[in-house]
Amino acid sequence: MKAQNILGLNARTQLFSYQYNKPKSKRIASSKLLTEKVLKKAGIPTPLIYKKFIKPKDILNFDWNGLPEAFVVKPSRGLGGNGIIVIKKRSKDKTGWITTSRKKLLEEDLKLHVLDILEGAFSMHNSPDAAFIQEYVPRHKAFRKYAYRGTPDIRIIVFNKVPVMAMMRLPTKDSGGRANLHQGAIGVGVDIATGITTKSIWYGNQIRYKPGTKRKLHGIKIPHWTDILKIAVLSQEASGLGLLGVDIVLHPTKGPMVLELNYQPGTQIQLANMAGLRKRLERVEDLKVRDAEHGVKIAKALFMSDFSDRVKADEGVKTISSLEEIKIKGAQKGLRKKVYAKVDTGAWRTSISKKLAEELGLLNQNNILWTKEFKSSLGKEERPVISLTFWLAGRKITTPASVAKRMTLKYPIIIGRKNLKGFLVDPHIPIDKVKEAREKK
Amino acid sequence: MKKILPLLLIVYFFVFSEKSVCAQIKTEVPSPTATFESEPTASPDPTPEPTPRVDITQKSEESIGPLEKLLNDQVLGPVFPANPLKYAIRASVKAGVPPNTIVLLILLPLIAAVIAAARHIIGLRGFGIFLPAALSIVFVAIGPVVGLLLFLVIVSASTFFRMLLRKIKIKLQYLPRMSLILWFVVCGVLLVLFLAPLIKIPGLTNVSIFPVLLLVLLAEDFTKLQLGKSARTAVSFITETIILSLISYMFLTMQSLQRYALLNPEITLLSVAVFDLILGKYTGLRVLEYWRFRKLIKG
Repeated sequence: MKAQNILGLNARTQLFSYQYNKPKSKRIASSKLLTEKVLKKAGIPTPLIYKKFIKPKDILNFDWNGLPEAFVVKPSRGLGGNGIIVIKKRSKDKTGWITTSRKKLLEEDLKLHVLDILEGAFSMHNSPDAAFIQEYVPRHKAFRKYAYRGTPDIRIIVFNKVPVMAMMRLPTKDSGGRANLHQGAIGVGVDIATGITTKSIWYGNQIRYKPGTKRKLHGIKIPHWTDILKIAVLSQEASGLGLLGVDIVLHPTKGPMVLELNYQPGTQIQLANMAGLRKRLERVEDLKVRDAEHGVKIAKALFMSDFSDRVKADEGVKTISSLEEIKIKGAQKGLRKKVYAKVDTGAWRTSISKKLAEELGLLNQNNILWTKEFKSSLGKEERPVISLTFWLAGRKITTPASVAKRMTLKYPIIIGRKNLKGFLVDPHIPIDKVKEAREKK
Repeated sequence: MKKILPLLLIVYFFVFSEKSVCAQIKTEVPSPTATFESEPTASPDPTPEPTPRVDITQKSEESIGPLEKLLNDQVLGPVFPANPLKYAIRASVKAGVPPNTIVLLILLPLIAAVIAAARHIIGLRGFGIFLPAALSIVFVAIGPVVGLLLFLVIVSASTFFRMLLRKIKIKLQYLPRMSLILWFVVCGVLLVLFLAPLIKIPGLTNVSIFPVLLLVLLAEDFTKLQLGKSARTAVSFITETIILSLISYMFLTMQSLQRYALLNPEITLLSVAVFDLILGKYTGLRVLEYWRFRKLIKG
């Protein structure tokens, strides 16, 4: 990969964070209490807040015993996950509480910790801070085998209403149950299109298995994936930030919830995904995205992970003919159509005839990603680019496809090089296949 | 490689810097090209007497004399457009402003730019820009060896005490705890000073309060950051900061640079400003990021 595709700290700050993040929005993101308020107003699910401590006297009359069994004490402006205490349950003798790292704390300890937070022990430049008690989000059962004690969270980078990259952070023994990569949590790359995990890093190195076990870290399907992406985009809209990292946890029963927003997201996410962020950001920078749904659609079409190397290992390189029957997914639920497609290694992008796209309901407003000016021998032409899902030789492919108005297309769909990774194309077309295709048309 | 380099640098400074500073005083050659790296060969004296080193932050005969002489030797053209600062410097020196202060002030933006470049081009993080710069001034004031010694004593004292407090479970509120830690740090510094008659490190005897105070304040920031990060990152932060301040120290004490800055203040200041502007526009990867993302670039 070219170095220009990678987002370094200089570029992140100067090209994106400075330009797209306004001070007002940054203020929201840097305070967890303010973030919660803004998100709640926008109807985005967040963990409940049981109690806020703004002044030291707020502690005086607070009844700690009235809290649920499990809860989390947090500073509002803590840095890098510091100052967070996660209480898992009450101790057996009912005098204190047990943290996720199996430490026993008494009421005195919790009070002192809150006072420390108010004094600014965990905030930047020691400025006075506020503390709060938040609902504990237990681990979703999908992650039970992978996360050590704590709850994994999912970091999604959103830019211009498009979720561009995602990473799950798994707590380990090293990190003491915390989901912070610097403290030893595992970063697991997640395919934007499917929500399936791909590659993993631990302390900056690639790993395949959960440390100390033979448990594969790739191929985990994250539940509620589309909802998670949508919530991430909605959080961006609510906060007004241009580029941000949204941290989402998955509640076992209540579904995805936003934990916090970060206006200077870290760059390790690129290693976990083995993909460059700068290229993706530049790709979506100028798109006109209508709403969250549209943004998610664009992301799924643009940033599908390249599973082809894994597929190749599983079943070898597939040889396909220049003329292949494919199955296209329609807009309506369950609508599929089989057509003959021309495999054209001379074209980059896949294109579909307007007639077929209309027939399948793919030309509606919600499915159009953007419009693009195409130059051809006939002059300039504005063509919509739609999100298209089809099955070619048993493999599911989701891709942006341009819609061609020309009625003279011999075949209703042409598959370009972009979607032909992992295939070999045999130029020979048997004559009966051509006949069959003609008849179908 | 990344781990060896800082070690080498530190060893280098321990071995050479004291000697070379002494050598400079002894030889007193005001040749404009002499940098102190070439000096050690000029001091073959096997039993060097403990000569006091020049503290350029203080107003003294040794620190001012050569610089003033240098100013007097320079022949100046008309005031505008090229020489307004030069005339201003001369006038203020004549009025009693020490030239060494002026030199350090002119060099301060330069080392700030060097530190910024180390962050944005190389990727050394350090602790912001103030900390390494302040540390380098401390090094200039009391020498890198004593400075480093005191700094390490202070950092380890405060870290040790924090851990001790946590172990024996004395729970105090934040500010009382911080002042107790300061108490302990001061004891550590005092202990080092009390050891002066025994260990005989030159320079330990003329330590003034301001560098020590600065060190104590810096150490507070260090330990705070250390608490949040893992031990691994804390150590790498500290080494990176020390490297940065040693580099800055090198720039500050380079005689040829001092002379150049004093004699050409306009060019020095202007080029630093231009450099800062260019640096601020750089959006490429940092050297350490090339290393960090090497697999991504290769794959």
